[in-house]
Amino acid sequence: MMAAVGAPEVISQLESAAKVLMAPPSMVSTEQRQHAEHIFLSFRKSKSPFAVCKHILETSKVDYVLFQAATAIMEAVVREWILLEKNSIESLRTFLLTYVLQRPNLQKYVREQILLAVAVIVKRGSLDKSINCKSIFHEVSQLISSGNPTVQTLACSILTALLSEFSSSSKTSNIGLSMEFHGSCKRIFQEDDLMQIFMLTMEVLQEFSRRENLNAQMSCVFQRYLALANQVLSWNFLPPNLGRHYIAMFEATQNVMLKPTDSWRETLLDHRVMDLFFTVHRKIREDSDMAQDSLQCLAQLASMHGPIFPDENAQVTYLAHLVEGLLNMINGIEIEDSEAVGISSIISNLISTFPRSVLTALPNELFASFINCLTLLTCSFGRSAALEEVLDKDDMVYMEAYDKLLESWLTLVQEDEHFPRGCFVQPAVQVFNSYIQCHLAAPDGTRNLTANGVASHEEEEINELQEDDRELFSDQLASIGMLGRIAADHCIPLLTGLLEDRVTRLHGQLQRHQQHLMATADPGTVDRKVLDDLYEDIHWLILVSGYLLADDPQGETPLIPSEVMEYSIKHSTEVDINTTLQLLGSPGEKATSIPGCNRTDSVIRLLSAVLRTSEVESRATRASLTGLLSPQMGKDIVWFLRRWAKTYLLVDEKLYGQISIPLSTAFGADTEGAQWIVGYLLEKVINNLSVWSSEPELANDTVELLVTLVEKRERANIVVQCENWWNLAKQFASRSPPLHMLSSSVQRTLMKALVLGGFAHMDSDTKQQYWAEVLHPLQQRFLNLINQENFAQICQEEAVKQEIVATLEALCGIAEATQIDNVASLFSFLMDFLSSCIGLMEVYRNSPETVNLIIEVFVEVAHKQICYLGETKSMKLYEMCLTLLQVYSKNNLGRKRLDVAGEEDQYQDLLLIMELLTNLLSKEFIDFSDTDEVFRGQEQSSGAGRAVSAADVVLYGVNIVLPLMSQDLLKFPSLCNQYYKLITFICEIFPEKIPQLPEELFKSLMCSLELGMTSMSSEISQLCLEALSPLAEQCAKTQEKDTPLFIATRHFLKLVFDMLVLQKHNTEMTVAAGEALYTLVCLHQAEYSELVETLLSNQRDAVIYQRLADAFNNLTASSTPPTMDRKQKQLPLSTPSTTQRSLSPCQTMEMLSAAQAETPMGLQTRMPPERGERPAKAERGRPVGHDHLSLI
Amino acid sequence: MADPDLDFTSGDAGASVTYPMQCSALRKNGFVVLKGRPCKIVEMSTSKTGKHGHAKVHMVGIDIFTNKKYEDICPSTHNMDVPNTKRNDYQLVDISEGFLSLMMDNGDVREDLRVPDGDLGKEIESKFAAGEEMLVTVLSAMGEESAVAVKPMTK
Repeated sequence: MMAAVGAPEVISQLESAAKVLMAPPSMVSTEQRQHAEHIFLSFRKSKSPFAVCKHILETSKVDYVLFQAATAIMEAVVREWILLEKNSIESLRTFLLTYVLQRPNLQKYVREQILLAVAVIVKRGSLDKSINCKSIFHEVSQLISSGNPTVQTLACSILTALLSEFSSSSKTSNIGLSMEFHGSCKRIFQEDDLMQIFMLTMEVLQEFSRRENLNAQMSCVFQRYLALANQVLSWNFLPPNLGRHYIAMFEATQNVMLKPTDSWRETLLDHRVMDLFFTVHRKIREDSDMAQDSLQCLAQLASMHGPIFPDENAQVTYLAHLVEGLLNMINGIEIEDSEAVGISSIISNLISTFPRSVLTALPNELFASFINCLTLLTCSFGRSAALEEVLDKDDMVYMEAYDKLLESWLTLVQEDEHFPRGCFVQPAVQVFNSYIQCHLAAPDGTRNLTANGVASHEEEEINELQEDDRELFSDQLASIGMLGRIAADHCIPLLTGLLEDRVTRLHGQLQRHQQHLMATADPGTVDRKVLDDLYEDIHWLILVSGYLLADDPQGETPLIPSEVMEYSIKHSTEVDINTTLQLLGSPGEKATSIPGCNRTDSVIRLLSAVLRTSEVESRATRASLTGLLSPQMGKDIVWFLRRWAKTYLLVDEKLYGQISIPLSTAFGADTEGAQWIVGYLLEKVINNLSVWSSEPELANDTVELLVTLVEKRERANIVVQCENWWNLAKQFASRSPPLHMLSSSVQRTLMKALVLGGFAHMDSDTKQQYWAEVLHPLQQRFLNLINQENFAQICQEEAVKQEIVATLEALCGIAEATQIDNVASLFSFLMDFLSSCIGLMEVYRNSPETVNLIIEVFVEVAHKQICYLGETKSMKLYEMCLTLLQVYSKNNLGRKRLDVAGEEDQYQDLLLIMELLTNLLSKEFIDFSDTDEVFRGQEQSSGAGRAVSAADVVLYGVNIVLPLMSQDLLKFPSLCNQYYKLITFICEIFPEKIPQLPEELFKSLMCSLELGMTSMSSEISQLCLEALSPLAEQCAKTQEKDTPLFIATRHFLKLVFDMLVLQKHNTEMTVAAGEALYTLVCLHQAEYSELVETLLSNQRDAVIYQRLADAFNNLTASSTPPTMDRKQKQLPLSTPSTTQRSLSPCQTMEMLSAAQAETPMGLQTRMPPERGERPAKAERGRPVGHDHLSLI
Repeated sequence: MADPDLDFTSGDAGASVTYPMQCSALRKNGFVVLKGRPCKIVEMSTSKTGKHGHAKVHMVGIDIFTNKKYEDICPSTHNMDVPNTKRNDYQLVDISEGFLSLMMDNGDVREDLRVPDGDLGKEIESKFAAGEEMLVTVLSAMGEESAVAVKPMTK
């Protein structure tokens, strides 16, 4: 080993460098700082620094220098491991440990770093049979038994460092070794050493839990061991046969569930382990920090599963013990705030981990007490969560706990057939009641009441970004809705009663206000407090009703929940159908005023309670009381009606095993009820659109209800029979008030709905008439306008501009209505407009907002229709887009606009154009046009003369976009993403077009790729790498050397090579970079060899040279020379036999990286300074290439 | 504008310089009058006071002539004034003493518009000095006019 020659000089140099680094920023220059950093970096890379480091540790007083010395030892040991004498490694480890033991006053960060070095040595040694590092556990247990708190803390630190090192998690140090190495170490560790650590920890906890009084120091040690126990129980046990590629994925999982190997059976199935944690928690539960650890330990135990259980009996016994312990722990205590989340984690873990069969095998009484306890806890956490909301607390612990418990309920009751029948009904009633109670105002409920019963009522500003309660609380509402179904007998009538009562009160309250207003005519005197309370009650009642009656309507055909169906069937014998229909059909009357109202179907009555709410709202608008209404309640109503309509309206009997007569009589196909309700909903929509145009969200929800009514043919058939529908269509077509006051997005959706309705079943005369009233006025007005002789003069007039904008908006809406069965007619209709739109581009060339909207029309048409179009139609659209782009280019090339808005305008144009190009390209991978019967009879056989291809349009478009694309514009992230997505697509889909590009365009494309690879985000970089392989393959295919593309790929070879071997890069790019490198190496083998030679020749150290040379040889040895056709784009899991011999791109990548990781080559000059701090995560993706296919 | 039989043929003599529009129907990138100035809307968002309150619209606009920023917030049921705007392209024939000489469609030359400030003005001057032929876009609203864009002549 090198003698400590010149050590004092080294120390003084390092100490002065440390002074520079520690100095305040104002005192030193950047150069000085960089120089100081460089000194430490090269110090850490120096060869065999052990003697110097020891000397430093023993003599220096500067903490930072000590820290660096420890780091240098750690890095050097791993780097030079195979060259070092085993006994010198052992003595080094002993030295470090003794060093720490003898210096109890070391700075914490220095001590932790030295222990880290020890842990790394132990880990590196664990796979090396020639060296024995096991003695460390013996030493640690001696430290623990010393009884000295300081020493015990140190022992805990050693164990924690070991645990972090072996866990292969993000806490693991980067020591330049392969994934397999980390995996093997971990597997050995978890079978043996981890258990030793656990046993040691348990002994300490046992010892402490027996003591009566713990002083502060003791309790500190206790806490550290408790945290250590938690770390052990949260160990992500690596299964024995997990392939390398899955290890990385596996290690990245959050919320690890405890799944120990079977060798842990004796240890963890011993009841005393669990009992100890319950005892510990009882002892420390008032200390909120420690309580979190002890509860987390219990939650981990509650998540235990896997081979540790020999059979189901063992699971039942374990669970029973756990549940007993839990109940004993909870019963009779007042739960602390800090315990809520932990306790709910225990429950949610055990419910989601243990199979239903195990839960049901628990002794009946125990199970009942558990459910009872869960019920009480849920209600109590719910109330506390409501209090938290009133107090507007930042840390909503009860809300989090409540969420977890409600989710557990959902898990439980979703499979309730496994449990004794009806066992969840009573709990469901209680949880449901308490939820409703917390959300209603006093006196029925406790909303906005603080603990001592004081009401708080604050009006806060709510911006549009804040989610609506129906989304914000969707998980809670889904659970409550489910519980409501379980206890439908109680919950549906409860909701109905409450809602009917609130609606009656709202009606009365509004009437009083109206009288008051007529008397005083001063709206300022209205007290909204009572109204707002009613609105808030109704808001929650409608949300819960919606979640109870129907599921999230995102799926295809949502079904009526079976519990609701059964409930309706069960009572159908007591129900009078006529009275039910009467109740449904008279939303203007009080439900209770209808004779026999108690003999009506409860499911229908709940819907009709919402219709009554809706009716009160509509009447108030007619009485000019809109200002007093709540737009939120308006949203709730249409949201509910939409959700309801998707599930119940025109209920299809074929989808159900048994059907409720009241439901099918009221809402089935061809029933008066269904017709009536469609008419009612339509009237609601029309009323809303005229009175609520100023409320964008409400208008939007309303128009979405309209879309729901017409998007399914069966419903649309009824809709188009309503006179109101025709009125709406005519009104919209004539652009008369109030519809034109709606926001543009609502107008688009309205247009979409009107078009969808046109495809309902009508006789041909009616159909013709419909289109004559909906679409033709649009066309007529537009043509009249643009065909006027003086259009060029009047085009700038405001009325003309508005007409144009309205037409363009409508076109977007029409495109949005495209479906496979209407694309043929909509396409022809829109095509006529598109060519006129190009004319408009010319006329409005200097009005950016109009140009923008015109491009948007093209984007929408391409987006919605291209995938259905056959060859001729596609061609027409391509040509149209090409012309559009030509006009755009002509008018914008060289145009310079006013600075402020100019860049923003340009940015939006370009973004839209790229979106258009990407949409056109999408035809290459999403194409439904073989089902071409949609154009039957229209498609002429055009066989010959494919005039324009997607590639031509897209490349032409890129030609336009590129010169306009400045570095500044690329700073808009969305634009940058869209741009690189587009050019990668082009390279992948049309590599053969690339060599034919005009020189300038080719150059800028290549520059863009290089720029994207080297100086953009990793996502962009990845896209660019993906573009390289197809380009290289293209070169290989043509066999031509010295083409510009060939030369460009050679340049990229160097770039990718440097990137992989010499620079830091993100592991997410591994696959893309490996693939790119592989194809580039195939193409340019000579250049590749040259690169390797150059790299090697820069390496002066003979030993390192040899290791590096070997690594490169290994890389290509199995496949000389590498050829393209062996290239596997995907990871070849299914064909191990062929891939074992050939070199897959991933292998290429990994072996090269291995070369990088194992050797410090070239790093002296090229490695970025933060090399030492590179996170372990990046390292783990760089394994040595052995046993690649161990998975299969 | 609501009248379907609107007469598009008449000129703009006597036309009002602004027209009203409900706040909610305004659009981003459109125009609005804020604090008496014609502005391009660069930001628009809604908010409400209390869960059951009515929507208010918050607008940020940039004065199309002075580039100054203005903000306003109002109930979304309110009507706002929208300026009638017009853009015309004229051929640049001369620059003298900071004024542009622009040729109109009928051959007349107007010399009442200043060379705009900032980069755009510099661009116009340098290109003109280099002898390039250009079209200048003039934006007018509420009785004011200004050059807002320039483009080399292609035809």
